[in-house]
Amino acid sequence: MDQSGNDRRLFMKNGLIAAAGVITLGTVSGAAEAAKTKKYAMIIDLNRCTGCQSCVIACKAQNDTLIDHFNTKVVSLEDGNYPSSRVVYTPVQCNQCENPPCVPACPLKATFKLANGIVVTDWDKCVGLGACVPACPYGARFLDTRHKGQVGGKVDKCDFCVNRLEQGLMPACVEACASKARLFGDVNAPEGEFAEYLKRTDLVTPKAHLKIKTSIRYVPNRRSKKGGSL
Amino acid sequence: MRKEILSIIGSGVSLTRRAFIKVSAAAGAVLLFGVEKAKAAVKWLNPRAVQNAAPTQLDKGSKTVYSVCLACNARCGIRSVVNNGKLVKNSGNPYHPYNERFEPIPYNTPVKDTLKMSSAVCGKSQDGPNYVHNPYRVIKPLKRSGARGSGKFEPIEWEQMIKEVAHGGKLFNHLGEDRVVPGVKDLNSDDPINPSAPELGSVRNGLVFIGGRDQNARKEFSDRFVKLALGSVNRIGHTDICGIGFRQGNMAFTERKAVEVKADPLGAEYILVFGANIYEALQPGVNTYEALVAKRSSEGKLKYTIVDPRATNASTHAEDWIPLKPGQDGAMAMGIIRWIIDNDRHNKEFLSAPSSKAASAIGHACYTNASHLVIVDDKHPNARKFLRMSDLDPSVPKEVGAAYVVLTKDNKVSAFDKVDSAQLDAEAVLKSTAGTEIKVKTSFRLMKEAVMEHNLDDYAKFSGVEKAKIEKVAREFTSYGTKAAVTQYHGAGNYISGTYASYPVAMLNALIGSVDRKGGYMKAGGGAAAWNSGLYDLKTFEGARKLQGPPLSREKFAYEKTTEFKKNGYPSKRPWFPFSHGGLCVETMSGMDQQYPYPCKIFMSYFFNPVYSIPGGYRYIETLKNTEKVPLYISIDIAISETNIYADYIVPDLTYLEGHYGFLTPHAPALKFTGIRTPVMEPLTGKTADGRPFSEETFLIDVAKEAGLPGFGDNAIKGKDGKLHPLNKAEDFYLRAISNVAAGAKLPEASQEEVDFVEQNYPVAKHKDMLTEKEWRQVCYALARGGVFDRRYEDHFDAEKHKFGLGRVAIYNEELGRTKNSITGEYFSGTLKYVPPTTPKGKVMAEVDKDYPFTVITYKMNLHAQARTVLHKWSMEVFPTNYIEMHESDAKNMGLKNMDEVKIVSKSNPKGVKGKVKLTKLIRQGCIGVSNHYGHTQMGASRVAVRNAEKVFLGGKTVADSKGLIPNSRHATGTQFNYVTRLDEDFANTPMVDVVGGIPDFSSTRVKVVKI
Repeated sequence: MDQSGNDRRLFMKNGLIAAAGVITLGTVSGAAEAAKTKKYAMIIDLNRCTGCQSCVIACKAQNDTLIDHFNTKVVSLEDGNYPSSRVVYTPVQCNQCENPPCVPACPLKATFKLANGIVVTDWDKCVGLGACVPACPYGARFLDTRHKGQVGGKVDKCDFCVNRLEQGLMPACVEACASKARLFGDVNAPEGEFAEYLKRTDLVTPKAHLKIKTSIRYVPNRRSKKGGSL
Repeated sequence: MRKEILSIIGSGVSLTRRAFIKVSAAAGAVLLFGVEKAKAAVKWLNPRAVQNAAPTQLDKGSKTVYSVCLACNARCGIRSVVNNGKLVKNSGNPYHPYNERFEPIPYNTPVKDTLKMSSAVCGKSQDGPNYVHNPYRVIKPLKRSGARGSGKFEPIEWEQMIKEVAHGGKLFNHLGEDRVVPGVKDLNSDDPINPSAPELGSVRNGLVFIGGRDQNARKEFSDRFVKLALGSVNRIGHTDICGIGFRQGNMAFTERKAVEVKADPLGAEYILVFGANIYEALQPGVNTYEALVAKRSSEGKLKYTIVDPRATNASTHAEDWIPLKPGQDGAMAMGIIRWIIDNDRHNKEFLSAPSSKAASAIGHACYTNASHLVIVDDKHPNARKFLRMSDLDPSVPKEVGAAYVVLTKDNKVSAFDKVDSAQLDAEAVLKSTAGTEIKVKTSFRLMKEAVMEHNLDDYAKFSGVEKAKIEKVAREFTSYGTKAAVTQYHGAGNYISGTYASYPVAMLNALIGSVDRKGGYMKAGGGAAAWNSGLYDLKTFEGARKLQGPPLSREKFAYEKTTEFKKNGYPSKRPWFPFSHGGLCVETMSGMDQQYPYPCKIFMSYFFNPVYSIPGGYRYIETLKNTEKVPLYISIDIAISETNIYADYIVPDLTYLEGHYGFLTPHAPALKFTGIRTPVMEPLTGKTADGRPFSEETFLIDVAKEAGLPGFGDNAIKGKDGKLHPLNKAEDFYLRAISNVAAGAKLPEASQEEVDFVEQNYPVAKHKDMLTEKEWRQVCYALARGGVFDRRYEDHFDAEKHKFGLGRVAIYNEELGRTKNSITGEYFSGTLKYVPPTTPKGKVMAEVDKDYPFTVITYKMNLHAQARTVLHKWSMEVFPTNYIEMHESDAKNMGLKNMDEVKIVSKSNPKGVKGKVKLTKLIRQGCIGVSNHYGHTQMGASRVAVRNAEKVFLGGKTVADSKGLIPNSRHATGTQFNYVTRLDEDFANTPMVDVVGGIPDFSSTRVKVVKI
């Protein structure tokens, strides 16, 4: 078994919520664990992405997004001149920006960024105005029409499966990535292959010309002229 | 307060004691309301609570089962999470090598430690919830209520259907059909099926059962009914449309020892890919082979080249893509071989080792017959056979006499196993002790002569690949020692003449000596233990029948043995296929249509949609509509398909998530294990009065009992201790089979914790009482892990040698060389031969259809398997339709733009099929690519007049109304090329097949593209 950044034990060791610990709160004695701030990030290596769509279906299965809408997609691009042509795959989703342009766009302050890097929506506040949707330069947000007029569920996008993180599980797309193109972890305590990838100097942000600092970065496809749909 | 909880959790701070003390308000909330309620107060924390998101394996009420997928046949493990009776999520099984790129967690890891582990499985598998809960599933038995093919059905009571199928009679009298329909009971007789041709067997052969996606255990269960209980030879698989072409070449190469052989994705440094869609459709599949290739290629440890008319998704990381002319894999391979021999790049040390012992001494687990002498004198009684010691001296003892003969370095003859090395490229005239001269050549010489018939310019012309590129690939392939191999699959030979296309592809591995080596060309290692023997005998029973006669497909049976041959000689009416791997569903269907060599009386299809899935399957619509050619047609399936719309009865079946018990051994290469599939949830079909689910097994058991066939019912299964056990329900067979595996693999007994895990999560546990306590605990050890995976990758090797390898491969195949073409009466070549795609009557497709400028190839997509994946709702969202893919320069020449509507027409189907053109740079010019999953007319795509449809379909009123099934246009999108495939006018206009192995043709149809 390789010791990749997607180490299965990552979350068992550093669980976001130690639910069992909370329940036994009254009985646990001794020194308390040091609090540790997490900051989540993902690196996607296009030299490993095979365009298999497994992450896309895993996300659908986990997150039940609106029909024909996706929290993550794999964009395909034909690159090079025949017969030296090849296809290049680029998984895309909410980049969990450092300064997310979608946040100030919401007049109700329903969407905001957590200290752990994830941009979330307060479902009690969101009324489906949709101002955040065009504000996202990556097209990562969409209105979920099934929930119109109801509390919550009006705007959807990737949140790194925060509910799974809470349980100590990897985001659904990361678990589904068999070739380990998606490397995920805590930049403040990186482990395994994820830690190795963080040190790489060839990481790029999507739409680099926007100069937005993102929590998702890419290793471009080295065999492709364009490197990917970046 | 809520905000403070938000800030704790949002910051990623663990809610440890210290954190709570620091943020006392939040702690107070937790203490007051409990952690669950505190979490509920912050909805964004679990936005999915608002959106019906899938519960995970860690959520309350979830049941977790480790099983094996069947979204395709790749046999990956799954971890299925079922909550509130519904399958909510599939992921991988961390114990299973196929989910962990050949390197899973240690087999003895306690199951409780695995639940939080990530493990990958592909998108097809993850669409499992939509498959099992698909609203278009039929859950009640149906009987047609109009003429055959009218598409009218009504529900029938289970017991009544069993009686009608078992006894036959005037079953459709009420519809104005006066004929007496044969029942299964009527075929339970030893009367000859054709009194003037007794070699054809008895009337038992009138039952034809074709299995589509059948796998180990369920396959044998139907064998038990068809072959052992009734005695029909016609339980036929579907290997032909699965991809028998490359298997034929491997079969020739391995002398039937294995038909699947592949490059080792974990050990190879270079893989030459022929017609294998390794990033979308290989077996092992997307999360195994593809994942290993991609990961190792990203690390610079592996390079690969794709030889294919389509670039395929694997072009993304490929060293090179060689756009090949369809049907010319053999030309490309023979071109490479020509270059290798001309440039002396073949591994002569390996090829000259004449025996297992000699090869082993130089570090190989495999040897070749390259140096063995073949009798090339046509007048010799053993012509085309290997020369044996007894041919030279009949007086030698029998055991010596059978030995192959080689020429030693000093030009003497020797038994093959008495020398370390022999002459490789030689011929001689030898004299027997009786004074007869025998002309002989080495296998290598014969192979070389065949290759030398054409030069590199010829091969470049045949294959459509520039000479320089052939040379480049040949040099690359021979630059990694034995750490290189070929991976060939469906595309490399799935066409007429495919046997001679894929044999040279396999041969490449022998030339570099990488067969049976780590990083080389390897077969699979087999299962961990037998499932059908051991504690319980599931192979046979008292009163089991012996089979007689050829199958309707004429596979593995020589024409020369028939009365027809004795009367008429050559040609036979349709080809016979003694040198076939078998599983010829296409020729079975054609045999049914032509009532050749004998008529079919009852047709049962299981999980099989030939009209849709066979290239040219549309031809069989007229076969199935004809009640003389098919007097009774019963379909066992999960939905109404393009084929069973012509059925008399439709028996609802279970999906792999509620049934389909199975023992899934690995595909090539290398590994040895047994995955065990058990239900992950309760069946969704209706039930019999005694509570068994409607399914294939329940149907076959009940029909067998009703028709009085042996092997089912009480006292049907014999235990090792001589005790007899019943076979009245599926589990009577399968749970005992699991016990055979667990005992055979000598598994430990599971801990109480793991026994509890199985008993609380696995539906099969309710049948545990049929086993002893010890047997059950052993079974639990296997079930808790989804199978037996007790070997690491390294354990499959003795240094570089594969422990479960082929042992010997054939440069010359004696069986093939001695087999005759039943149409021409000529011998087939026993070694390589360049043959372009040619019909059995000798027509070269590229010539006869040259007015049709494009050649069509089809392919599988990563989110699809076969006909059934139209039911995968999420996959259909990702890829809502398919396209007619065309090279951009071809489109430009025709004035076509992206997304233009066109139709493609062939000589056999001038009406053609419609679709949208997609321009691409990823296909060879002159080719058209169409993926093989769209253009459905059934599976929910059309209205079907089913009485009481709301009760017949799982989705009830969401998919049915008083007029029957409501069509869903999302199921009807795109183009199915199989409706246009070329038929063979020389053989009753049935689908084209290869004359050697019965390979259906997927790559030779030529079409015109017409703008609409």
